[in-house]
Amino acid sequence: MSLQIFKTIKDFISGMDYVHREKAASITLWEEKELENIFTILLMGSFSGIPAPPAFIAAELFPLLTSELKIFNERAENSFDTLAEMTGILSID
Amino acid sequence: MTTIIVVLGIVVYIVLFKTYGKRLEQNVVKADNNNQTPSARMYDGVDYVPAKAPVLFGHHFASIAGAAPIIGPVLAMAWGWVPALLWVWFGNIFIGAVHDYLALMASVRYDGKSVQFVASDLITKRTGTLFYWLVFFLLILVIAAFGAVLGGMFVRTPEIPSAYLMKIIAALILGVLIYRVKMNFTLATIIGILMLALAIWGGSVLPIKLSKNAWYIIMFFYIIIASAIPVNVLLQPRDYLNSWLLYFGLFIGALAAIFSFHGFSAPAFTSFSPILSGGKPTPYFPAIVLIIACGSLSGFHSLVASGTTSKQLEKESDGLTIGYGAMLTEGFLSTLVIVSVAGFGLQLMVSKGMNITTANWATNYTGSMMKSLPKAAMFTASYAQMVAATWLNFIPTKIVQIIAGMWVASFAMTTLDTTNRLGRYTFAEIMLPMKEKHESAYNFFTNRWIASIVPAFIGIYLAWSGNFTILWPSFGTANQLIASIALLTGASWIAKRQGSKSRFALIPAYLLWITVTAAIIWFTAVVLPGTIKANPVTGITVLIIEIVMLIMSFVFIIDFIKHKDDALA
Amino acid sequence: MKTVFFTGKGGVGKSTLSATLAWQLAEKGFRVLAVSIDPAHNLGDIYGKKLSFKKKKFSEHLYLQEINLEKAADEYVKANMNLMREIYGYLQSFNMDKYFSILKYSPGIEEYAALTALEKILTSERENFDYIVFDTPPTGLTLHIFALPGITLSWLERLIKIRQEILKKRYTIHNIRGKYEAKGVPLVYDEKDDNVIKKLYELQERYSLVLSLLQGKNNAVSVVFNPDYLSLKESQRLLTGLSDLGLPVQGAFNNKMTEKSGEIAEMVEETLKKDHSSLTIQRVPYRADSMQEGYKLPCDITLPFL
Repeated sequence: MSLQIFKTIKDFISGMDYVHREKAASITLWEEKELENIFTILLMGSFSGIPAPPAFIAAELFPLLTSELKIFNERAENSFDTLAEMTGILSID
Repeated sequence: MTTIIVVLGIVVYIVLFKTYGKRLEQNVVKADNNNQTPSARMYDGVDYVPAKAPVLFGHHFASIAGAAPIIGPVLAMAWGWVPALLWVWFGNIFIGAVHDYLALMASVRYDGKSVQFVASDLITKRTGTLFYWLVFFLLILVIAAFGAVLGGMFVRTPEIPSAYLMKIIAALILGVLIYRVKMNFTLATIIGILMLALAIWGGSVLPIKLSKNAWYIIMFFYIIIASAIPVNVLLQPRDYLNSWLLYFGLFIGALAAIFSFHGFSAPAFTSFSPILSGGKPTPYFPAIVLIIACGSLSGFHSLVASGTTSKQLEKESDGLTIGYGAMLTEGFLSTLVIVSVAGFGLQLMVSKGMNITTANWATNYTGSMMKSLPKAAMFTASYAQMVAATWLNFIPTKIVQIIAGMWVASFAMTTLDTTNRLGRYTFAEIMLPMKEKHESAYNFFTNRWIASIVPAFIGIYLAWSGNFTILWPSFGTANQLIASIALLTGASWIAKRQGSKSRFALIPAYLLWITVTAAIIWFTAVVLPGTIKANPVTGITVLIIEIVMLIMSFVFIIDFIKHKDDALA
Repeated sequence: MKTVFFTGKGGVGKSTLSATLAWQLAEKGFRVLAVSIDPAHNLGDIYGKKLSFKKKKFSEHLYLQEINLEKAADEYVKANMNLMREIYGYLQSFNMDKYFSILKYSPGIEEYAALTALEKILTSERENFDYIVFDTPPTGLTLHIFALPGITLSWLERLIKIRQEILKKRYTIHNIRGKYEAKGVPLVYDEKDDNVIKKLYELQERYSLVLSLLQGKNNAVSVVFNPDYLSLKESQRLLTGLSDLGLPVQGAFNNKMTEKSGEIAEMVEETLKKDHSSLTIQRVPYRADSMQEGYKLPCDITLPFL
């Protein structure tokens, strides 16, 4: 019984710890993701009509950018649907 | 009595969560863990990591909980504690939590797209655009309402601004420790909490006394500056400290309420129309929706739930705990507020020399409260009294009061500058149609600083000159209008996509729309004329916003009914 | 190793001067490589040999080589197309991969191909030769090729900065999450593990080397012109372009001088010296019998740094 209580308390504390760690990292995570997106956008400059680096830099990096391209895709798809996301990230209420 | 109500509240929430909530989950949403959630579909181990239910719950709750669920119930006490409590409990269980849960689940089934997107998809494109306008108005009114709360509180309790200032310094240091130096996280957290405690103590020693207007000017500049600096310098570490403050305050409050065994001195019921908004008799129906927003129902939650939470949900069965459960927890917070004010409010006002009894409560509560312990101060003082009435009385009452004050102030202050960040963005979206015809004007208004100053200025100006009992309900109208659109969107999702019984959402949604629209009409026709006479600039600004919102409300409902039976594309 | 680039308008005699300098240096006993990047490929004609990318021995100390820009560009595009095909391999089942051939027309491919070849020669032949003499394409293209390493480097610098910022943020996240870090794909936060930043650094190193070789003391860019008005104008543009790029201009050659060109030659030389006072100009007389052994000009070609 007392062991059970001890375990519950331990679980609760580690849960709080986890919650708070995620809280402290949340905006940094978002920023990191956006930066990866910007990185890809810059490389794909010619695609979006902004000044682009020499094409071969993109060509050299292309095979290494699988996760960035994934993010790029996802951001492109959701770029018009960000009001709610911003509300959540800035936890406005 | 305090104990009975709190325990009863917990029981009501748990029972209804298990019955009504579960039925929603099984019959209406048809949550099924075989459906992949967006976080699982996009999983890459880096960003799209599905969060475990308790973590996401903590995250979501911290995002939706703010100062609003504390302030609304304080005002609603004018009706007596029973009507206030009824709306918090039943509004929450049958409308507010349903609203949050549906927004979350619709978004999950829509690949993590927001309620705004779902609304444009299911109703009309125009509905999506309405969100920008409503959110923009809401942001201005939030700045106004919270600015007024803070102004009053800072003057009343000069220890709080000083503690808050020290907390900002603590947050700046913590930001360096966590995000620059990359110190061990646990150690940094301990240092952060110690600094927070030091700030609270420091505030009690070194109060800062300034006039209300001076605080407004400071707030204006604070909003502009704080929303311009990188997030990990101030915003992120401060939010992190806030989250500790929130859980700590809630924990102590729950303990105190359970163990205080104190009778209620406030009347259970006063009158259907006590004096409340703008010094006018305020009818419980429809005005209650404007007074208690966050504690029982808030449109912002649909945005938070569908904006970030839906992208992290691990499995569909977690949705109920997070979407529905977090909202009930927020209702519990409002319950604590009602209990503490009902238990200790009367004595506090009398001790400040106010002429208030249970007999004249209906006519004198609002005035006495605003004069002696305005808005949040009523809560912080009652909360401190409630803690002092228990075995927790080893903590000095003054310190408890500062902790409670910091709790409210931190959330309100955070809202001011995060609101301004979002304000810039919505402002730019609203201005977009201007781009084609008046490009130079468009460029001027969407300039980062201009777009930042405009909402901050209007908001602070309203707080400066306005009457709080006007600003608070107008903030409520914007918030509840979003809620009613989101809930109708949820209903239409259930009807069109789910093919299940949409009456669970449709009935409360229509009821809500009717109530909110009636409330706006009542507020515009009955309350505002007096304000316009007394204070033309505030009155007319609010009037314009209300009329635009009223038009939007009708545009929306017409669109909704027209497209209700449309086949899906 | 020292390098010399002969630049100038088409037809002014860059190839002849390169060929002569290379021959004269080789005769003195230095190990010399003469390279033609000029699409006109006069160098091979002057030596009377058919040249290719593989270097050919001409005399005891003199080797010859030719970079075919078109071919280099083709090869570069082919390599990229193959990469695209690998990534989007399924397209082959519908024969749609051929659409990637549009890459051939991307702007800047020729310059990049030339630069890549140049870089290969500069880095691989450093130890083997005392002198490498380059015969370059006409002004515009040459300036583009010379500008490329600088532009590339400034882009690389920007990209590296963002990438470092990304890794820093990832490290912060890793540090905060601690033991709750997601299992499975690990979050790469160390520069040592991030292939993207490693590739960026590698590119940066390569282009810095090329740039430092081009801008260094052991490189000379020489301008060749004729005693006429058009040639003067182009040389002025060229000189400005070269000094903007921070390239060391050493020596100018007033080629194809005849007795009749005295006055105009004076004028051209003076105008050039007005803007570039330190320029040493050497006159090279016109040779009527240059059809045979065009690399054996009767006068000594000298440059200050030789």
